[in-house]
Amino acid sequence: MVFGFVTVDKSEMLGKDFDAYKAIYCSLCKQLGKEYTFLSRFILSYDCTFYAVMALSLEDSCSGFCVGRCKFNPLKKCNYLKSNEESLSKAAALSIISVYYKLVDNIADGGFFEKLYCYCLMPFFSVWHKKAKKKFPKIESAVAQMSKAQFEAERDITCSIDKAADPTATMLSKVLQILTDNEEKRRILSAYGYFLGKWIYLIDAANDYEDDVKKGNFNPYVIAYGDDKASHIKDINASLDHCLSECLLSYNLLEVKRFDRIIENLLFYGLPKKQKSVLYKENEK
Amino acid sequence: MNPYQVLGVAETATDAEVKTAYRELAKKYHPDNYADSPLADLAEQKMKEVNEAYDMICDMRKNGGASRSTYSQSSYNNSGYTNTSFPDVRRLIKEGRLDDAMQILNGVSGTGRNAEWYFLMGMIFSRKGWTEQAYSYFQTACRMEPNNQEFMSALNNMNARRHYNPSGYNTANSSGCSICDVCTTLICLDCMCDCCGGNGCC
Repeated sequence: MVFGFVTVDKSEMLGKDFDAYKAIYCSLCKQLGKEYTFLSRFILSYDCTFYAVMALSLEDSCSGFCVGRCKFNPLKKCNYLKSNEESLSKAAALSIISVYYKLVDNIADGGFFEKLYCYCLMPFFSVWHKKAKKKFPKIESAVAQMSKAQFEAERDITCSIDKAADPTATMLSKVLQILTDNEEKRRILSAYGYFLGKWIYLIDAANDYEDDVKKGNFNPYVIAYGDDKASHIKDINASLDHCLSECLLSYNLLEVKRFDRIIENLLFYGLPKKQKSVLYKENEK
Repeated sequence: MNPYQVLGVAETATDAEVKTAYRELAKKYHPDNYADSPLADLAEQKMKEVNEAYDMICDMRKNGGASRSTYSQSSYNNSGYTNTSFPDVRRLIKEGRLDDAMQILNGVSGTGRNAEWYFLMGMIFSRKGWTEQAYSYFQTACRMEPNNQEFMSALNNMNARRHYNPSGYNTANSSGCSICDVCTTLICLDCMCDCCGGNGCC
């Protein structure tokens, strides 16, 4: 999984929604600390926060918020979710498991210092990974399969854009599906997750385009368009737009119980803005 | 079922508000949006609920301004094709057996690969979520048979999805004023000046 692209657009958000979003972020951090020791809090990401938002939006009840103190800054007071442990626990497990597999990947094909760094972290993550796997075997197997499929796709030097994005897309599709038992919702989440995952993979590939050309790394866009990014920027944009369109179509059919404005902020403003800034290098604001 | 809840409006909403809410939802769930989508049946179901809710409210209000003009269920049954070279493949795609359908198509070689072959390949990839490949197959199908309605509408649907602009939002030019604005303002000011009889000064 790739990190850092799934962010909300604060300027388009109501204050109360942003407070709720922040509270979920802080609650996830707290959950990581509770289940996987204080150190694991450093892997907190917006992507997994979004997974927590999705999980919470589908739950039957939400406990509301309470005020607590931030562990990193004792002077700061934050809002936290009162309970909803299950959803947060799933998001925490996803954080741990995806970082674990990222480390495994880096050890397999990273540079010397990268490898060294990953080896140092590995002992911690092995323990946490085992714990997360025991709790949510379905999340673990989804990410494990992604890691394996990705490795295989990248060995194919003629790999298509769709094929390269498929492992990440399938993974997110699976981890979102486990959030509900309702068959209809599962179908919707399956499509929604697939295209969101595809977008995440492709935006990262678009972001790394120049870098990958230089270093000769695997990148499906480079395979399709060579080193001529400039004249294919429209194609890249269309492929990303297509993912977001499908995402929105699926989301429109999904009945969420809360936090709909946060999710819509992401789909309407957060992701398109990110896409624009990556493709056209516009300054973010 | 509370029809007001379905439309997302209060029971005290005016007829115009009800109508606007209905239009919004009908636009959202319109079958055209979900053509060729594996979720088409769910969208159709939603559309039906919305239609029923609107009809109910109209019946309850009877003489109100809200007129009964619900969107009709669009005629989306893809059985419109008459002569197909691949009836089995079409059936398999309909049943969601994409791998089997793909296997049959891959077995076809040379001249057997007509426009419909490319179209159906596109359909399979589209269902799998492999949008880039689907798009290029649809393009080929339309190039080979530009007059085919079915292929054309699939390509058009896809073209619409390859341009994402939810609720007309545009990050560029969202604020500030352009050269045009400046010119129009000057012209307006000039006209106002003339009205006041101030000639020559501007």
